[in-house]
Amino acid sequence: MESKLTRYEKIDFLGEGQFATVYKARDTVTDKIVAVKKIKIGSREEAQDGINRTALREIKLLHELQHENVIGLLDVFGHKSNVSLVFDFMDTDLEIIIKDPKIVLTPANIKAYMLMTLQGLEYLHLNWILHRDLKPNNLLVNFQGVLKIGDFGLAKFFGSPNRIYTHQVVTRWYRSPELLFGARQYGTGVDIWAVGCILAELLLRVAFLPGESDLDQLTKIFQALGTPTEETWPGLKSLPDYMQFKVFPGTPLQHIFTAAPDDLIQLAEKLLAIYPLNRCSCTEALNMPYFSNKPAPTVGSKLPMPTSLVQKVQEEKPSLKRKLLESMEGATLPKKLLF
Amino acid sequence: MLPGRLGVPLSQENKLWLSWHDSTWIPILNPTNIMDYFSQKSNIFYDRTCNNENVRMQRLGLDQLTNMTGIEYILLHVAEPILYVIRKQHRHSPTEVTPLADYYIIAGVVYQAPDLANVFNSRILSAVTHLQSAFEEASSYSRYHPNKGYSWDFSANKALSDKSKAASKKDASSNKEEPGSLFQRQRVDMLLGELLRKFPPPMPPQFQQQQQPQQAGAAGAQNQTGTSNQVKTEPQSQDQQNSTIKQEPIDNPSSNNPAPAETSPAPVMDIKTEPSEMKPPPEKKMKI
Repeated sequence: MESKLTRYEKIDFLGEGQFATVYKARDTVTDKIVAVKKIKIGSREEAQDGINRTALREIKLLHELQHENVIGLLDVFGHKSNVSLVFDFMDTDLEIIIKDPKIVLTPANIKAYMLMTLQGLEYLHLNWILHRDLKPNNLLVNFQGVLKIGDFGLAKFFGSPNRIYTHQVVTRWYRSPELLFGARQYGTGVDIWAVGCILAELLLRVAFLPGESDLDQLTKIFQALGTPTEETWPGLKSLPDYMQFKVFPGTPLQHIFTAAPDDLIQLAEKLLAIYPLNRCSCTEALNMPYFSNKPAPTVGSKLPMPTSLVQKVQEEKPSLKRKLLESMEGATLPKKLLF
Repeated sequence: MLPGRLGVPLSQENKLWLSWHDSTWIPILNPTNIMDYFSQKSNIFYDRTCNNENVRMQRLGLDQLTNMTGIEYILLHVAEPILYVIRKQHRHSPTEVTPLADYYIIAGVVYQAPDLANVFNSRILSAVTHLQSAFEEASSYSRYHPNKGYSWDFSANKALSDKSKAASKKDASSNKEEPGSLFQRQRVDMLLGELLRKFPPPMPPQFQQQQQPQQAGAAGAQNQTGTSNQVKTEPQSQDQQNSTIKQEPIDNPSSNNPAPAETSPAPVMDIKTEPSEMKPPPEKKMKI
């Protein structure tokens, strides 16, 4: 433990959340840049197992996960009553990329992001893990253009300016209709829906379904995709929070994603199927023609980087607060489902 | 490029035969909105996976186009108020592009400009078609009698169809058995000789045309008028072909189909009204 305390040299403060504080640090052994998330002690009740229980869950979960497109938990060490988690350091995230007006997301770029996201998510689902909080700023991207799913579980955000509004809405914007109807039993479809929303956001560069309330969220979903009925969604009316909505016919996705080729439309339709059982799995999505058709996904090194980040790197100022936070911050929330 | 994007019937058609317009836009077209007009979803010439549409969908500035690679459309030329030329090109770098196709919008109707090969193909095909139909028409008026040899008959057959004409020709030749005059027999020899000169090994047409009047002149004064007229009709019809070639882009830029239909009557009419009586029907001779 003592050696680990000195192993990581703090470089910068990245952010602070309800359950943790995140620092950028250098691993003196490997000389790699890492992100260190220091878990707060929490209340006595929370810490009755000796460590914050949700943090414990995340440690347990991430410790067993190893995938190119899932954030890697490199190390865990404790000091007195603190526990710190060491993660891969990630330079940016998809939200920053999407919101950078100087970046053009080509069809090949979008395919690359979708491919990495679905591969990471497929790995999680195959390991019986639901992420349940997928959104662009939980998809972390490093300078090599590798996308990793981060923020397992819960993530309340803090720190950066755009989090103030995102933390209220973001989750909702990516919520599937069954969750909004209060379903208590659901599956991988909730993550798939979120991936569909992320795909739409990559295409449109604005949130696809920016609901202002849960009801408004459902309205926006049905306006875009059509109101489901008992015929198109068996069991719809028995959902806990079901209520009748105005009947919208829906808009063909070709009219929403005007520049999208047919194979991409096909994928989007499967990801954004209103009826959860019609949604595809990650494996099915990855097997769709979109991923084998031209254009080939952009290689990581050619993926765009936010201009602010590029400038910083050119100035050799390593104050990249952004991404680290995200990977580190939400140490505590118990959002993962372990089966 | 995008199989499945278009419906099967549409994609099988030649884009050069098609035009597109949206009548609600036509009154308000101007250089600032012409690209929006061209970008209408229903426009068959607009590839909606192009960079322009990607930039539009992503709500970015059009100035980003030069930084992208791939298919893009640019407004190439404006001649207000009615003509706009839009180019589809493949961008390789901010400074390097390869033109793929040009489209022109005349009075709001969008056409694809044909490439040179298509123009040549179309024009040559229509010229040959017209020549062939002229020969067929001419040969349907020719008559053969063993005594009289070949002659023209414009009166009896006008109402007959081509098939019945061919049949009636055979009947006529087999039924009539008058001895041929000296002139007729010479005429046949002359025609055969001329045919050999006319359809021998492939020769440049100009060379042919130069030779024929001389040979016809040697054969006889009467014949000379007939053959020389015939010779003239060929260049004449070719001239007309040339002039229509020039006119087509103006009159019928959209499709090559209507243009031949319009121009075809002219050469045929000339042959029909040709006063000479002794023109050789080339195709029939070939068979002999």
